[in-house]
Amino acid sequence: MLSKLWVLAYRDLGRNPRRTIMTMIAVALGLALLIVMNGYIAGVMDGVLQNGIRLKTGHLQIRASSYNETDLSLQGKDLLSEPALVAARASALADVQAATPVLWVGGVLATSSDAIGLQISGIEPASSLYDPIRTALVAGDFLTADDRSGILLGRRLADELGLAVGRNVSLTVVDADGQAAEGSFTVCGLFNTGIPSYDEGTVLMPLAKAQAFAHADKRASAIIILLHNEAATDRVAAALQTSNAQVLTWRDLNQLILQTLESSLAFYTIMDGVVILIVAVIIANTLLMAVFERIRELGILSALGMKGRHLTQMLLLEATCLGLVGIAIGLVLGLSGVAYLTYVGIPIGNMASVTGNSLALGSTIYARFVPGTFAGLAFATLLIILLAALYPAWYAARLEPVEALRG
Amino acid sequence: MDAIRLDHVSKIYHVGAVTTRALNDVSLSIGEGEFTALIGPSGSGKTTLLQLIGCLDKPDMGVVQIKGQDVTRFSANQRADLRRTSIGFVFQFFALVPVLTTYENVELPLLLSGVKPTERRERVLTLLRAVGLEDRAKHRPDQLSGGQQQRVAIARALVPRPVLLLADEPTANLDTANGQQVMELMARLNQETGTAFVYATHDPRVIAFARRVVKLQDGMIVDAGVAG
Repeated sequence: MLSKLWVLAYRDLGRNPRRTIMTMIAVALGLALLIVMNGYIAGVMDGVLQNGIRLKTGHLQIRASSYNETDLSLQGKDLLSEPALVAARASALADVQAATPVLWVGGVLATSSDAIGLQISGIEPASSLYDPIRTALVAGDFLTADDRSGILLGRRLADELGLAVGRNVSLTVVDADGQAAEGSFTVCGLFNTGIPSYDEGTVLMPLAKAQAFAHADKRASAIIILLHNEAATDRVAAALQTSNAQVLTWRDLNQLILQTLESSLAFYTIMDGVVILIVAVIIANTLLMAVFERIRELGILSALGMKGRHLTQMLLLEATCLGLVGIAIGLVLGLSGVAYLTYVGIPIGNMASVTGNSLALGSTIYARFVPGTFAGLAFATLLIILLAALYPAWYAARLEPVEALRG
Repeated sequence: MDAIRLDHVSKIYHVGAVTTRALNDVSLSIGEGEFTALIGPSGSGKTTLLQLIGCLDKPDMGVVQIKGQDVTRFSANQRADLRRTSIGFVFQFFALVPVLTTYENVELPLLLSGVKPTERRERVLTLLRAVGLEDRAKHRPDQLSGGQQQRVAIARALVPRPVLLLADEPTANLDTANGQQVMELMARLNQETGTAFVYATHDPRVIAFARRVVKLQDGMIVDAGVAG
């Protein structure tokens, strides 16, 4: 019986091919839009988060218990006193890819014509944590540990200040004693990570030089730890926890990003709902028209002894046929779109910098394949199509044969 | 046993404030294998009577019995079951499912009844042979003439081996030659199958085929004819 209902259902769809094709296209475009939109959002979210982890926060940071990031304090009590030891202890763990101390100092970078306030990072140049910056070098050389006057700038920052490799700049910081310290440095290299917010606001110098310049002795603001696998975060954090230090995970360190992404996600979920609702209305309309056009025929089927539930099944099967074909086309279109955005991306250029320093948005935005989400969207589309078909199917099922035969 | 028995059946339609008594205290018995014409002018109640006999509608008063069963007490599903197994319909407007082939249209009532494929095939082909349309089995309704479509409808009505075949103006949309052919076919199949045929008409050439003529006027039977 069901097989014949299938035959009836798919042949019924051929009665008005133009309407059927338009409805399938509506389903396909709706789903394709959802897939591209969700792939794009996933790509942006993942990109921003991974860029943040890769270039700024790492997966974990160990800081002194009293350290406050917003103050960029250089007082001894707020810094780690034996950073090399702590970093070595972290590096010894199997899950850790790199662990390196960093000293953050707030300062002003001045040229002969301009000045800008920014955060200076004293780093260990040899650490693999900085491989992404090493590979992003576009002019000059990378830092060396014993460099006493070289600094590394983001290319955007250099362009903004009219700087080039070999040019001298003046840096002024408030040191650990609360005194202003000024020094002259030479731009030894420029990097372009593709993350405008990073390239516009980053100055790197060797850790030893930063410590000496800021009178921070051998102390560090934090140990930045990069893991082989993000999933090991909590395990490693627990292993490194001590009473006089705080261990912060990438979730703690990127709270603002995560909150921003979460709010965007809620907005896009509403958008998903709106698109699905539009598809539902189109399907309901198509099937209702199909029922109204065939009322007499439904009366004949009823006169032949077809029960209401069979008529319901028939209409639901029609909706399923419409939905499955539309979904298949939508998957092909949507996945092609996501593939394009994943491998080619959308260049947004300077627009990325409007997000400020808080979001590490790249100058090219890439989508990401999220098979679970895509499957969920396809399933939700089919489900909503069937729900939308319920009313026309119910209407057909409760038609009185004698009324239906009158048309 | 009577194939059909109606006792004091009335049917009233309400359209807005207007009440129309389509059937008024009708009592009638039709035996197995009869070939009966319901005649009368338009609005006399022929179609309403066929709809009540065919369990497509319920009377407001009175009892309708099919093979001794009081169908006025049946639920919608029970009436659907009875229509599927015991009653065949032929409509004025041919009423084939346009997306199905001739074969599939005739097969449909058997599918609804869950008849096995081999038996289905045998019964469908037998009836297509009987109505002379075996060579049109794969054609769709729009590829058939009006007369051919009505013959398919007759085959479809008879394929469940019903007790009763009801036809409402079966030749009204056919030319004289095709109308003649259809009536000859119905009369022959009535003889061969033993199914009782009841058809509504006001065409004198079609009335002539009947072995019993029931006359209706203003919702009442004015002449019940003689069962033969």
